[in-house]
Parts: sequence; C-alpha cells; structure tokens
Amino acid sequence: MPVLQFASFASLVQPTFWHELTRLKLEVLRLSDDHIPVTATYSVGKTIKDRNTGQEIELGLGKSRAVRVAGGSQHAFIVGAPGIVKNFNTVEEFKDADKKALFNQFAEEMWEAMVKNNDPSVLNKFLLITFADLKKYKYHYWFAFPAFAAQPLWEIDSEWSSATTAFTNAQLSILHDKLAAQSLPYFLIRRSGSNVEIASVDEYGDFYADTPEESRAVGFIDPSPHPSTPGWPLRNLLAYLRANNPSTTRYIQVLCWRDTEIPHGGSHWKSTFGVVIGGQTQGKPNAVGWEKNPQGKLGPRLADLAPMMDPSRLADQAV
Amino acid sequence: MHAIQQQYWAVRDYLSPVLRESKFKEHGRITPEEFVAAGDFLTYKFPVWSWEKGDASKAREFLPADKQYLVTRGVPCLRRATSLAYTDADEDAERLLSFGDAGDVASKEDEWVETHAGRQSHLDSGANPGVIDDIPDLDGGHDEDGFVGGVANMSLGADAANETPDLDDIPDMEEDLEEDDAAAAPSKPAAAATVLEASDIEVAKGNLLQVRTYDVMITYDKYYQTPRIWLLGYDENRTPLTPPQIFQDVSADHAFKTVTIEGFPHSTSLQAASVHPCKHASVMKKVIERMNAGVVEEQKAQRKAGAKDKDKKKWFSRRTSGQGKDDRVAAGAEEDDVEGMRVDFYLVVFLKFIASIVPTIEVDSTTSM
Repeated sequence: MPVLQFASFASLVQPTFWHELTRLKLEVLRLSDDHIPVTATYSVGKTIKDRNTGQEIELGLGKSRAVRVAGGSQHAFIVGAPGIVKNFNTVEEFKDADKKALFNQFAEEMWEAMVKNNDPSVLNKFLLITFADLKKYKYHYWFAFPAFAAQPLWEIDSEWSSATTAFTNAQLSILHDKLAAQSLPYFLIRRSGSNVEIASVDEYGDFYADTPEESRAVGFIDPSPHPSTPGWPLRNLLAYLRANNPSTTRYIQVLCWRDTEIPHGGSHWKSTFGVVIGGQTQGKPNAVGWEKNPQGKLGPRLADLAPMMDPSRLADQAV
Repeated sequence: MHAIQQQYWAVRDYLSPVLRESKFKEHGRITPEEFVAAGDFLTYKFPVWSWEKGDASKAREFLPADKQYLVTRGVPCLRRATSLAYTDADEDAERLLSFGDAGDVASKEDEWVETHAGRQSHLDSGANPGVIDDIPDLDGGHDEDGFVGGVANMSLGADAANETPDLDDIPDMEEDLEEDDAAAAPSKPAAAATVLEASDIEVAKGNLLQVRTYDVMITYDKYYQTPRIWLLGYDENRTPLTPPQIFQDVSADHAFKTVTIEGFPHSTSLQAASVHPCKHASVMKKVIERMNAGVVEEQKAQRKAGAKDKDKKKWFSRRTSGQGKDDRVAAGAEEDDVEGMRVDFYLVVFLKFIASIVPTIEVDSTTSM
C-alpha cells in the first residue's frame, strides 16, 4: 500500500503584517522578545482555468497568511490558525537561536493539549520567528507548522478518489450547508441512510457511541488543491484521533473537503475521499514542519519591502 | 515632490463634496450608496470578494463602517502582460463572452468582447522574458538582474551589501533540524525565474504550479466619484513584488502612466499599486451607454412579447432609471419593465474594464466562474 503523503503548508505574509510588526516593535515591544499571539488563515485549495490553454491549474496551497495580530472576520471555509511570533532583536540572535529546542518545546505543548486535554483547537498551531531590519525594510522570517510524523507511517488503502464514491450528491450538499453554517476546521461525519450529521472532533466518544464503523468518517477543510495529496492539517488530525481513540482508529475514512459551493452546471465536487490505515499508537511521535525557503532548503525567507516602504525609493517611482 | 503631490491630493479629496445625486448613466460616476449597492451585489454574486473595515482611523464617514472597501485575495496571474502584445492577427481571436446567469433569459445583454481568446502563450518563454526595464535608481545602486535573480540579490544596493548580513549569510542556517520526512509530499521549489515558462503550463496537469498572485482592493475615490483599484502582488515564492515587477503585469499602454505606487487610503503606512481613476468615469460612461442600449433593446423586445398594454410605462421608467435605489425597487416590482442597466452591475462592468489594464491578472472572476 502506498505511503500517505501530505502537502505542506506554504506561507504567504501580507505586507500589512510587516507594517503592523514594525509598529508593534517600535511602539509596544521595543526590546522585548516575548511571544506575540497572531492568527493566520487558510482556506480550501483552489484551481483556476487558464483561459488561454483551457487547462486547470492548481493554485499553490491554501496559503497560510499571518494577517492580524488579533481578531479577524471569519467566513465559512476559511480556517483561522493560532500561532505565535517570536521576534529577535538582532540578526545574530536570530541566527544563533536554538531553533530545535524552541520547536520541540512548542510541539511538546501542542501534544500535551491534544492528548491530555483533548483540545483539537491546537492542531493547526504554528510558530513564526522573525528578525526585522527596520532601517532597511527587510524582514527575515521562518515559519514552522509542527506536524506529528507517525511511525509506522500512515498508508492509503488504494488511492484518493472523488468524494462521490463514498457520499451521494445529496449527502455532500447537506455537508456543504452544515459546514457553511458552523465553520469547523475538522469534523466527524456520521452517515445514517440518506442523511449525514457532523460534530466537532472532540465529541468522538459520544457522537460515535452507537455508530457502526463503516458509517463513520472524519473530514477537514483541505488547503491542498492536489488531487492525490491531502493537506498538512490531516496529519495532526490523524495523530490526534489515533492517540485518543486507539481501539477504533486503525482504519479511518477521510473526507478532504475542498468545495466552497455546491457544484452547478458542468462542474463536479472537488472534495476527495480515501481510507487510511496505520499510525502510531504508543508514545509521542516526532514533530516536523519547518518551512523550506525558495531554494528548497530548510532556511529562513526574506521579505524585502524596501521598494514598497522606503520613502526615497518611492519618490523615485513617482514621475 | 511626490509627497507634496500626495498631500495635495489628500486636501483636494477632503474638500470635494460627497456625490449625492445618481449620475452613473450620465457621467459614469457613482455615489457612495451606489458603490455599496454595487459592492453588495458583487460579494453576493462572486463570494471571492468581501468587504473590509480597514484601519479604523482611516474610515470614511460616508461609507458604512464595515463596508469601507472590497478585497479579493490570491488572484492568480499566470503570465506577464508583455507577452500579450496585441497584433493584427489577434483580431480574429475576439469572441463574445456572456457573464449573465446561466439560463437567464436576458443573458445576451451581458455579452462582452474578449480579445486574445484562445491565444497561445508562445511568446512567453524563457527566451523572451518580457522584462520591463526598471526605473533607474538615483543612487546608482540598481542591480541589473534585480528581478531575474530572485530574492537573493533583489534590489540590493551596492552600499547595503557590507553593512548588514544579507540573505546570503543566512541560508547557512540550514540546520539538521529534521530528518527526512517520508510523509511530506515533495514540493516543487520554485526556481528563481520570475517568468513562467510555457512548458510549465503544459505539465501543470497534476503538478503543483506556483504562479504570481495578487490581492486586489477596490476603494471608493471621493474626488473622482468612481471606484479605484489597488494591487498588492506576490511572486511564485510568495514574497512581495517590487514596483518594476508589478509593472510587468500591467499592459504596456498603462504602465508608468495610469498605474502608480501610492499610499493605500485605508491603512496608515501601506503602499500599493493603483490605477489612477482620472479616466474611469468617461470610460465607464461609454461602456455603460453601449451596454445600456443593448439592455434596453432586449427588455423592450421581451416586454413586447409579453403584455402590450404597458407601453406607456416604458418611457416613464426610463426617465427615472437614473435613480439607483429606486431602480432596484422598480426591478423587483415589475420585472418585465424597461429600466436599462442597473447600478448594481457597475462593479462587474468596472472589473471588465480593469481587466484590460491588467490583462493577465484574473481580476475578472465573472468569466471563470
């Protein structure tokens, strides 16, 4: 059976975030390098049709955006991910920081919350380390999206197929309406006849008390547009389910939710379905998840906003 | 100089009165109320658009607090505008597009000529990257390969290189943080090239393709009394684009002329590329006139086919059709009456017009949905 692969998150930081960080650094934080809570969002994976060639082109991954330091409007199918920013005062501190320890401690706290407190809200937490060179309008940053890598690896029964192989059109439409109404990043699905019901994943025991295993499935808002690769959030969801309910989760039916609207006209459901097997039941799995830089290496990225922020450069642009 | 100009614009904007009377058919201008109505229609019809509050200190009092401007994020931009240089051969490639409801009896009224239809991207290859020259920096620190070389050497001034450690120092940070992760899907690292190769599009099926994306904002410009478009771009590696890079996505007729970098009005510090609205009203007027004639024809024909005894109302309703709000009420009450194009459609039409200025940025979601 093929190994189950996950498409990693890809970060996209809006310039407004750097403006806000600059303001915070100058007016509030000053020399403090305490953690700052932030919220990022991701949404379902999108594809667009290239009008010139008529081909479907996948659009990156549901991008993780560090948008606002607090709050933010919530739409259906857009998931908020909590995170922390650690801003270093000097580039040396940024380079020399013990990232392994920082990451491991962060992952440890996530695991505690997931398993001991049965809290699914930490499943998509992220860590961001930054160094802001305010005089040059340059921002070095590095995201980590911790994911628990199960040993043995998860495997997929055959391959990912359309959601319509496991659900009827009517069921998917019901799911769509329920998800649009409640906005759950992860959800349990219970099929009963032509109807489906959903619940938050921390209600696993009660919700599935009288449900035969073949009627159970778990779903999540999938930021991956790739037909044969589910997105990163599934990884922690599986680890969480396996650790908390080891006896009933050897086989898990998974629905990767990718539809923002009920298909009409000639379009199809984009969500995919598969059965995954395996996972680690004993102990805490290792966590991975530092984001790679544009060179494909594990390393920080650089946002150079001088062309858009430096007053002298802007003056040159103006004619 | 630029700063003084911006100050002048701010003062002029402050002094100009808020447009109260509907003028959208006569002048192509709209009132804030009509902007909100058209925005509501756009967000309802195309949910990729949403209203934003913006910075509270910059809120405009003539717009509702939670409906200050419209935004859509992650708009794809597959290739550079320079590859779309218009030639005679392309004239045959025009085709009519329809953006009305499927099955809508009146959908013909929404037809639109799309140029470059079916055009292959043969020009857009590595051999012809279509680079627009950077505006020369006064300090001479401009790097010729600035936007081809990727982030590493992007706009690195000569004097900047030895002061602060730049990115070249930091990739050494690649540490032994993680073992090989067998369950992570291999992601294609986007090469430093900023131009999408034509061959990439061919193999895109089933592969993850990274393209430039834009955040597009629509604000209401009080002085020109039209909507105004703002662009924030990101490259394939999701780092912000520089102004010269953004100009690559603006059609050659407009780059450096009507598209400039200016302070975004709903933020205290953000700068974004903007299409200057001084000609918007006259262009919108022409477009609306043309569409309105078609719409009225269509509605007349429909109405004739229906009830004949309503002939008088046609003229009556046409006279009042300038009133945006009344229009909508009338539309609800008597659907088969002749009322011309409704102001709700303004922003949909506006986006079609903007699409001609930034042809490769898919701002016009109305055709792709």
